[in-house]
Amino acid sequence: MRRLERSSRYVPDNAAIAAEGLPWPRRRRRSLQSRAARGSVPYLLILPVVGAIALILGYPLYSMIRLSFERYGLFELIKHAGPSVGLHNYGSILHDPVFWHTLVRTAVFTVVNVALTMVLGTLIALLLVRVSTAVRILLTSGLVLAWSMPAVVAVQVWIWMTNLQNGVLNYALTQLHIGDYSQHDWFGSTLSQLGMVTTLIVWGAIPFVVVTVYAGLAQVPAELVEAAEVDGARPWRVFLDVTYPILKPIFLILTSLSIIWDFGVFTQPYLLIEQSKLHAGNYLMAIYLFEEGYFKSDFGRGAAISILMLLMVAAMSVFYVRRMVKMGDVR
Amino acid sequence: MRKRIAAAALLTAALAVAASTALGATSKASANAITVWLQADATADNWKPITAAATAAFQAKHPGVAVNIQYQTWGAHLQKFDATLAGGNVPDVIEMGNTEMTKYMAAGAFLDLSGDKASFPNASTWLQGLALSGRYGGKTYGVPYYAGSRVVTYRTDLYKKAGIKVPTTLAQFQAAGAKLAKQGKKGFSPVYIAGTDWYFAMSFVFDYGGGIASQVSGKWKSRLSSPKSIAGLTAYKNFWNAVSKASKTGTENNPQPYDVYAQGQAAAIIGPAWFSCCVGKQYTGVTGQFVVPSHTKGQVMPGFLGGSDLAVPIGANKSLAVDWIAAYTSTQSEKALQAIGNIPNSTSLTNASKINERAAARSWFVPTAKNWVNVENGNILRNMLAQILTGKLSVKQAAASAGDNIESVLNA
Repeated sequence: MRRLERSSRYVPDNAAIAAEGLPWPRRRRRSLQSRAARGSVPYLLILPVVGAIALILGYPLYSMIRLSFERYGLFELIKHAGPSVGLHNYGSILHDPVFWHTLVRTAVFTVVNVALTMVLGTLIALLLVRVSTAVRILLTSGLVLAWSMPAVVAVQVWIWMTNLQNGVLNYALTQLHIGDYSQHDWFGSTLSQLGMVTTLIVWGAIPFVVVTVYAGLAQVPAELVEAAEVDGARPWRVFLDVTYPILKPIFLILTSLSIIWDFGVFTQPYLLIEQSKLHAGNYLMAIYLFEEGYFKSDFGRGAAISILMLLMVAAMSVFYVRRMVKMGDVR
Repeated sequence: MRKRIAAAALLTAALAVAASTALGATSKASANAITVWLQADATADNWKPITAAATAAFQAKHPGVAVNIQYQTWGAHLQKFDATLAGGNVPDVIEMGNTEMTKYMAAGAFLDLSGDKASFPNASTWLQGLALSGRYGGKTYGVPYYAGSRVVTYRTDLYKKAGIKVPTTLAQFQAAGAKLAKQGKKGFSPVYIAGTDWYFAMSFVFDYGGGIASQVSGKWKSRLSSPKSIAGLTAYKNFWNAVSKASKTGTENNPQPYDVYAQGQAAAIIGPAWFSCCVGKQYTGVTGQFVVPSHTKGQVMPGFLGGSDLAVPIGANKSLAVDWIAAYTSTQSEKALQAIGNIPNSTSLTNASKINERAAARSWFVPTAKNWVNVENGNILRNMLAQILTGKLSVKQAAASAGDNIESVLNA
């Protein structure tokens, strides 16, 4: 299987051709100097992008790192200057039990959200392959609509549907005799609050996974699946031994991206749970950052939290980038 | 072709002119215009003429000075204000909630107005509670704007049908609610109270002689676990369970109590006296108001004295700002604010025949600590109430844990 996968991928792409350059004989005649000049071309080409990134991301990042080493509250904000306090902000965060509880909560939240998104997304993508064209178009357009819905609007719809007094969810569940859900409070406990946020995020994230996995499924050679079926493999085995290995790079990328997105999610939980129901017992990382930094006007501490979050996401991204690079190396 | 070029040139010229005038406007702003941040409450149809009249009076004194009023929301105005403090372009006048003042006064965000008190009408008779919220370290930074109290807005027809008289004690009020609860449909609240309405819940605490926190030799100590506070919280829990079918974790502004009332799902609601505006056409004729009764006969329950101050941020045009505030808090202006249901800023104007002003006879205020606003934004009291009502923690446990949190925030 492995060999098959590799051989099927041996198609030199444009980038590879460009890197190899012109045929051998002419290159040999070139002087050392011009070769060095040629070697610098890729760097010159990438320079504008690096410059733009440095300007847009680098400078604010530098300011934030500096801020994280300063005592910078409302008083300092008005003075436009804060005294340096060394690692004090980091120390106070790492000694804050709320930080650790929030970190664990966010990690569990991320795992649940990513797992649900990936499993449901893959299942729907597999379904898309099997249904008729009409149903596929219907499903795809529904998914794209969900994908294009702005988070703020989706939150409003969720709030209406789950309304305690007149929400359609409580009404429907009661009418279907699933139980007495009249006056049921969907935001009554931390678990329930984060559960509602999870449904909203998974709902919003599934379309991207479906569309990407569905596109990937087109790469799975039909003969392989057929051959496996002839050999007596059940659908689950076919998925595990044929489909999954071929789609593995896609799954890896999607999972890594979802982890990065869900770990730092802010809009949905902040708006759905509402500011007035947020407290140290139901924070996610981004909300903890916002409450500590902005609501308490402790900008130095807020900056330190963002740097810590950035380091965590960067650590996760290293894995993602390494995978990407390795995949690019496959030859 | 030539026409097109001409059109393009014209467009460019027009844009250039627009750009230069826009730039001109900002650079002249400090001398020829002032910016005022008011809360969106003042966008009401009956409120706008009052601001307009104040601006007209101001402009009679300062011809040609534009007054640019920008409306803000309670939830977001402090973050916006922080941004202007960091980046410049602060408003010249800002409306601040009275519980928000201390943190900003302590940080030095406002100009000292102690020397300008003579410019403000009725400064010697300012409502004490409001005037205190605008003072820090012996200096005056905030000018009292208006205050608000909370009263009961109720359905007279339902009370009459059930044979209930206007209650004069808390026990009667609770009994009336229990009686109506038996007659109402499912989800009907005899008194609709959002579970985490901490303004109302703390009124019980103060009614029973308790408190939130007080300063003991320079350190803030929680008072929530004192026996009197526990008695108040327990009374709130019992009252709530007997009369309200609202969300135990919900807040008093979502949904708006008057919307619940207008939908026929409540026999009474607690809130500002102006709630009577919005009870729905079918109930306007059968709506009355009374003051929340105390558990002690013959007294009213102490209510949270909410209100606003007007302050002048550092970097603002002080003399123009002071003159505008003086015009907006003039006797005439305050009387107009009173006419639309607010409590005016001066005891020389208050009128005991008005129900909301009677309700303000006994009032309480939050601890005047510079970090108090962090207790509010951290929802510590709301979370405590949710824990009590959902039964997640006992009254004592919830009060103790909230008290610890409050102490750590206030002493930070």
